[in-house]
Amino acid sequence: MTNRIVLALVILYLLLPLGATLVFGISNGNGIGFSSYQEIFSDHDFSATLLLSFELALASTVLAVVLITPTAYWVQLRLPQARPMMDFLALVPFAVPAIVMGFGLIEVYSGNNTLLSILSLGLVPLLSNPPFNVVNTPQLLVCAYVIVSLPFVYRPIDNSLRAINTKVLTEAAYSLGSGWWRTFLTVVLPNIWPGVISAALLTFSTAMGEFTLAELFGIYTFPIYLNVTGQNNAHKAASLTILSFLLTFLCVLGIIFLLRRRPGGAKQDERLDIVAIK
Amino acid sequence: MAFLKLEGITKYFGQVTAVDHINLSVERGEFLTLLGPSGCGKTTLLRMVAGFEVPNAGTIWLDDDDITHRPASKRPMGMVFQSYALFPHMTAEQNITFGMSIKRLPKDVMQQRCAELLKLVGLSDKGRSYPHQLSGGQQQRIALARALAVEPKVLLLDEPLSALDAKVRVTLRNEIRRIQQQLRMTAIYVTHDQEEALAISDRIAVIAKGKIEQLDYPEEIYSNPRTVFAATFVGTSNHLQGVVTFPAEGICQAEQYTLHIPPMPHLHTGDRVLVIVRPEGVTIQEANETIDSEANSATGNHITGVIELRTFLGPFTRFHVSIDEGKTFTADLPSQQARDYYVAQKVLLSFPPSACQVLPLDAREVEAEHLTEGEKV
Repeated sequence: MTNRIVLALVILYLLLPLGATLVFGISNGNGIGFSSYQEIFSDHDFSATLLLSFELALASTVLAVVLITPTAYWVQLRLPQARPMMDFLALVPFAVPAIVMGFGLIEVYSGNNTLLSILSLGLVPLLSNPPFNVVNTPQLLVCAYVIVSLPFVYRPIDNSLRAINTKVLTEAAYSLGSGWWRTFLTVVLPNIWPGVISAALLTFSTAMGEFTLAELFGIYTFPIYLNVTGQNNAHKAASLTILSFLLTFLCVLGIIFLLRRRPGGAKQDERLDIVAIK
Repeated sequence: MAFLKLEGITKYFGQVTAVDHINLSVERGEFLTLLGPSGCGKTTLLRMVAGFEVPNAGTIWLDDDDITHRPASKRPMGMVFQSYALFPHMTAEQNITFGMSIKRLPKDVMQQRCAELLKLVGLSDKGRSYPHQLSGGQQQRIALARALAVEPKVLLLDEPLSALDAKVRVTLRNEIRRIQQQLRMTAIYVTHDQEEALAISDRIAVIAKGKIEQLDYPEEIYSNPRTVFAATFVGTSNHLQGVVTFPAEGICQAEQYTLHIPPMPHLHTGDRVLVIVRPEGVTIQEANETIDSEANSATGNHITGVIELRTFLGPFTRFHVSIDEGKTFTADLPSQQARDYYVAQKVLLSFPPSACQVLPLDAREVEAEHLTEGEKV
């Protein structure tokens, strides 16, 4: 009985704010109505910013996963001595606030610092001036999102690599005639899939909800639209929050569905992993 | 030239020499076992043959081909690992056909060979099972089938039975031997289990500290060990250190015991030797019994002691007999004859000269033997 009461209290604690937001969103002062949703769907900024945020999040997710997964595998297999450095790098974004990183990136790519030009082997001046100017572009924002989400990408992938016997599985594949890439794609990747999905989900949601960097770079993304709307129309902002929540919820369901369809099926510990992500 | 030949293979890990100038030849169809304690370099040697490690010096020849620097994926070797290393997301069939699909064999050939291999390892009904649905023994059988599927020139087995329980271990080792003989497959097997090595191998290389101590047939390794290490590592043995007094007559003095050993004309008076006696070569009598004429002959060896421990091991019973100042002597008796003897009983241990294996000791070995005496006797 006590357990049920505790469970009910926890559910109330989680759902009450959401319920209140939903009710606030559909109440227009005179009663209940869906006018705020009609306003949202007819607002061009809503679809434009949502699409842009979606594109940025997708690009960040793909870039982060494509960069980090083979790197973590390589470190696990060939450079175990580099693991402490990777662990440190993966923690840096936690220690450095997004605002500091934003200013840093703007400073680096918009100044004409000779020392930086030399240290970056000419890369910074190349990327700071036309035709490859990346200052305040969505491309630079994607790169920044990849760095911000580094802890969420590296950790789950590294944990998954440690959970399977990566070295022995790789050697077994080699002994059967498989090369590095084939081993990575057909043997290692399917076995660390839950970790990769976790990494992708966390990167995607981080990028979808990121405000500070987008604001500093002056790029009009969905969180900025949400903030601007909140300042002008609180009911509309509440409805937007509900829509945003539904979007995330659908993403999580999609991920769970993907994992369930894996060959061999999701095992117990992997299901727990998914619950932990949620 | 031998089918597989290792010439002067050396491997360092930092300051540590894991494998030290090893020369080894394996004939086609031979089952060779690398036997040694943990950290002796046997697995490193196997990994160099497989291509997972590159030697710092030396050459590996396979069928007259220098494969020393060839990557593992390009070597015609099949490997079976201690931890099975089956791909968890693939069924048994998919695991077996993995190597064949890389070779782009036609699908019907792959399926036919897969069915044959499943039958060979006795798991025809488990093709659709995932590794986590199979027992340890079944997983290792599938791993064996997977390694054989690519038709390797050499099968490498790295302690494949270590993770299994005792009964499965014996069954599976016999299966491995049967399959190896049936396919006339050249195989190199790594183990630290001397009983396993003696049971399964055509030849055994006893390895210690990165060097081969003795390379020989199992019977020879057991009956005529060439080094102190080989004698102590393979089988249980009693050791008595002594000095040769009459080499031609076969007499040496080991502390207070005058031992009759086989004549050693090549040794000199004063040479230090280690006399090794296997427990099954020792008989036990009550100390007050009249020693029969044969045992009482001048050429027999007799030591009195008190039974400290009596261990029933099924067909025979092992006695640990305290002989002198904390030294114990081990004797095995058929269990039916062992009933008359009990702990704390004073007994007479007897063994003929023919039960003694004698190894000359150099100064270094005297010291090493002295340091580890407690463990060995």
